Amino acid sequence: MIDSTPRAPGSKGVLADTLEQDAPLGSVQTVGEALLENPSVSCRDVAVHYGDKQALFDINLDMGTNEVLALIGPSGCGKTTFLRCINRMNDTIQGCRVSGTIKIDDEEINHADADVVSLRSRVGMVFQKPNPFPKSIYDNIAYGPRIHALTASNEELDQIVEDSLKRAGLWKEVADRLQAPGTGLSGGQQQRLCIARAIAVNPDVILMDEPCSALDPIATARIEELIDELRENFTIAIVTHSMQQAARVSQRTAYFHMGSLVEVGSTDQIFTNPRQRLTEDYITGRFG
Amino acid sequence: MNKASHVSRVGRSPSRLNQRRFRAERRFRRLGLLGVVLALASVVFLLGTIFSSGYSAFWRLQFAVDIQFDPALMKITERPTAEELQEVHYLALFRKNLERAYPEVKKRSERRKLAQMFSESAPDVLRELVLADPTLVGETRRVWVLASSSADMIAKGNAPRDIEEKRRVLTDQQLAWLDQWEEEGLARNRFNTRFFTSGPSRSPELAGLAGAIVGSALTLLVTLIISFPVGVAAAVYLEEYAPKNRISEIIEVNINNLAAVPSIIFGLLGLAVLLNFFGLPRGTPLVGGIVLSLMTLPTIIIASRAALKAVPPSIRDGALAMGASPMQTVFHHVLPLAMPGMLTGTIIGLAQALGETAPLLMIGMFAFVADIPSGVVDQASALPVQIYLWAESSERGYVELTAAGIMVILIFLVLMNLLAVFLRKKFERRW
Amino acid sequence: MENPIKGHTVESFNEEMQREHKTVLEMGALVRSQIRAAAKTLQDEDPAAARKVIDDDAKVNELDNEVAAHVEQILARRTPVASDLREVLTVSKIATDLERCGDEAGRLAKLTLHFFEHPDLSPNFQLLKEVSTVASFVEMMLQESLDAFDARDTYGACEVIRKAEELDGEFRSALRRLTTFVLEDARTIGQFVDVVLAVRALERIGGHAKNIGGYVVYLVTGRDVRHETLDAILRDLAK
Repeated sequence: MIDSTPRAPGSKGVLADTLEQDAPLGSVQTVGEALLENPSVSCRDVAVHYGDKQALFDINLDMGTNEVLALIGPSGCGKTTFLRCINRMNDTIQGCRVSGTIKIDDEEINHADADVVSLRSRVGMVFQKPNPFPKSIYDNIAYGPRIHALTASNEELDQIVEDSLKRAGLWKEVADRLQAPGTGLSGGQQQRLCIARAIAVNPDVILMDEPCSALDPIATARIEELIDELRENFTIAIVTHSMQQAARVSQRTAYFHMGSLVEVGSTDQIFTNPRQRLTEDYITGRFG
Repeated sequence: MNKASHVSRVGRSPSRLNQRRFRAERRFRRLGLLGVVLALASVVFLLGTIFSSGYSAFWRLQFAVDIQFDPALMKITERPTAEELQEVHYLALFRKNLERAYPEVKKRSERRKLAQMFSESAPDVLRELVLADPTLVGETRRVWVLASSSADMIAKGNAPRDIEEKRRVLTDQQLAWLDQWEEEGLARNRFNTRFFTSGPSRSPELAGLAGAIVGSALTLLVTLIISFPVGVAAAVYLEEYAPKNRISEIIEVNINNLAAVPSIIFGLLGLAVLLNFFGLPRGTPLVGGIVLSLMTLPTIIIASRAALKAVPPSIRDGALAMGASPMQTVFHHVLPLAMPGMLTGTIIGLAQALGETAPLLMIGMFAFVADIPSGVVDQASALPVQIYLWAESSERGYVELTAAGIMVILIFLVLMNLLAVFLRKKFERRW
Repeated sequence: MENPIKGHTVESFNEEMQREHKTVLEMGALVRSQIRAAAKTLQDEDPAAARKVIDDDAKVNELDNEVAAHVEQILARRTPVASDLREVLTVSKIATDLERCGDEAGRLAKLTLHFFEHPDLSPNFQLLKEVSTVASFVEMMLQESLDAFDARDTYGACEVIRKAEELDGEFRSALRRLTTFVLEDARTIGQFVDVVLAVRALERIGGHAKNIGGYVVYLVTGRDVRHETLDAILRDLAK
């Protein structure tokens, strides 16, 4: 335990000293329970380089089945980069190299031969800004099943659309206007539409990149409620800048700092008694 | 803020400071307004000049002559075959009828002056009438024929009237005839349909734009077919696929430079490569279209890339994250959103091409082609080239034609721009 | 000693937290002076001073209310987490315990009133001696627990907890001594009960000081040690 003894004046611990030099931490020993038994997603020694610059350092982190993992940390700490490793969205960024092994249900996805298209049908993603396609609500949901050829008939597709909208809690609001443009919905509805779109292909994992940052508190609450419901069927990882949100929706929380995973633990523990000074400073708002 | 500056600010009256600021503001605004007014004035002046000298070309003076379709004069039998009717010397028929109608004109030179009041096309008018209705033979009919360009000019006031006879386009006697016919109702103004139905002619009153319009249309068609797919494909590749490195930067800079290359260079290229090296037919819409598409490509590529850039990356991310391949992403999501911008760019590029003269001159699209071209490998002219040729001609009758031609090309340009605006409005989607 | 409350990006949060901290220490000082004063009234046989002690308890209550209101504000507006949350919770709990200590001091002062406002009662001074001994002991404990809180000193806090055990022994031996007086002279039984109640009140103050020591351990380590033995706590701290 780091905090068990009173510190000498001026001492801030090794990590905080490194922080003040404003340099990447490099590889840091993660504190807490990063690894799980029977993980849904398991990442070992994941490192990401953008050109010459290293953005993530040797991340070892598991995501458990039916749990919400919150990734928190200051801007540029690598949490979004890490999230995008899991569905290999980093491939779309030029000069981005991801090393290490990432397994989803024991299947390695981070090598050149892995099928990115089928990977992304197993790992859905919801973005910061609601980004429904400028098409009808129906076509937004049906897009995934169509390109992955999941349905044999139109009736089946109709059913998937209805089910997805129901699971996303949007069905009642849009049942009578499925052909209306998805971009005509309110911000919160658009985001739930995006979630419905992601679950329409029945993925194992859903990645959420600050899904509520553009929404008002009521829409945010509805999304958080939805996340809690979806937890029963999906493994969810959520990046958020709102500490309260992380505390509300997640079961586990991982704190990233300057490209390193500093601490992982149950959300209960992280928000009451973090073991790392850096984590403490971040969640209590002590970063200048 | 230190104390000194604070004091100095208090020292100067704030209202005076504000007054100076407002005066400067008003001055600046007036300068801007002046600029706009000047620009508008020059546009109005330009358009005014063109319209005032060109609108008259859409009207033509016609004279009436009573023509007796006398078989004896036509040297044919009572029941002639179509072939015989074709062979008739209609110029003689017209002359004889003129002599009959104006018996007081005896002298050979005066008769010639009388005949010169009419367009060369008078015999053709008679032939067409007879061929259309052979029963006319033996009848007498009042026929309207085009006036000569000189009479037309005087009647419209485009040529001076009150000057000495030697410098006037009509003699005193011709002038008297003109006045007499106008008084007797034997002269009238009619819409100049020939202007839109016939090709160029050595007689201004007979010249038309049809050949040039068709030539331009065929040329633009070739340009569109070549430059739109190539331009869009290049833009999609550069924007969506090409890695961002030194090579793609060089390509980008060069495409932008290409847009600024003088158009005559493209003409030279066409002359050297297409005509001399590949041996394509000279002065045809095919070659013109290829040259113009080279010129239009940079415009289309730049506009298309801008349209692609304007598609929010979140749409691409969304599609990719759903498992769409890059190609599916482009075709399902990016292109439909970028299409209005691309079409607008293409139309603007084509409008530019429509007005291009220099490269077409270089590849020989200035020949006098009386026929209206029927395909892309026929010799053809183009609108701006035709206008240029008319502007070069010395005859007074071509002045109004030149202006009228410019009006036509302006109208096409406006129409194309309206189409671009319409397409953008119609297909533009909000996201 | 680095002040752990310092360092928030939001300055006013720091100020609010520091104010709470100071208010609690102020409250502690007041309660201690109340205890001292109450014990002194017994020695000095001064009912007037005792009355003042009882009146002054209102000040303690006032400070307690102030702390409670501010804690509520901080919870609602700052939603503190981790060490901030523990600080706020600790402050709130310490204030509650101090308020009780204030009440116990009042109880002691009432004893003075009871003994010396009625001249016919002549208290046995041997009995009262026990009271002042225990009083100075628990006042010292309270002092140490508040110092431990101010310095976030877990070992100081443990010392208070250890002293609470000592106090327990002290309390029992005091009881035994008092009992011998009763055995000698059964007429003192009424006084005996009063004095036992007073010592009992002081013993409660010692209990509150022990609680505060426990809060300090919780504040620093995040472990709730109220129901653990001192040995177990020390073992954990040593880790």
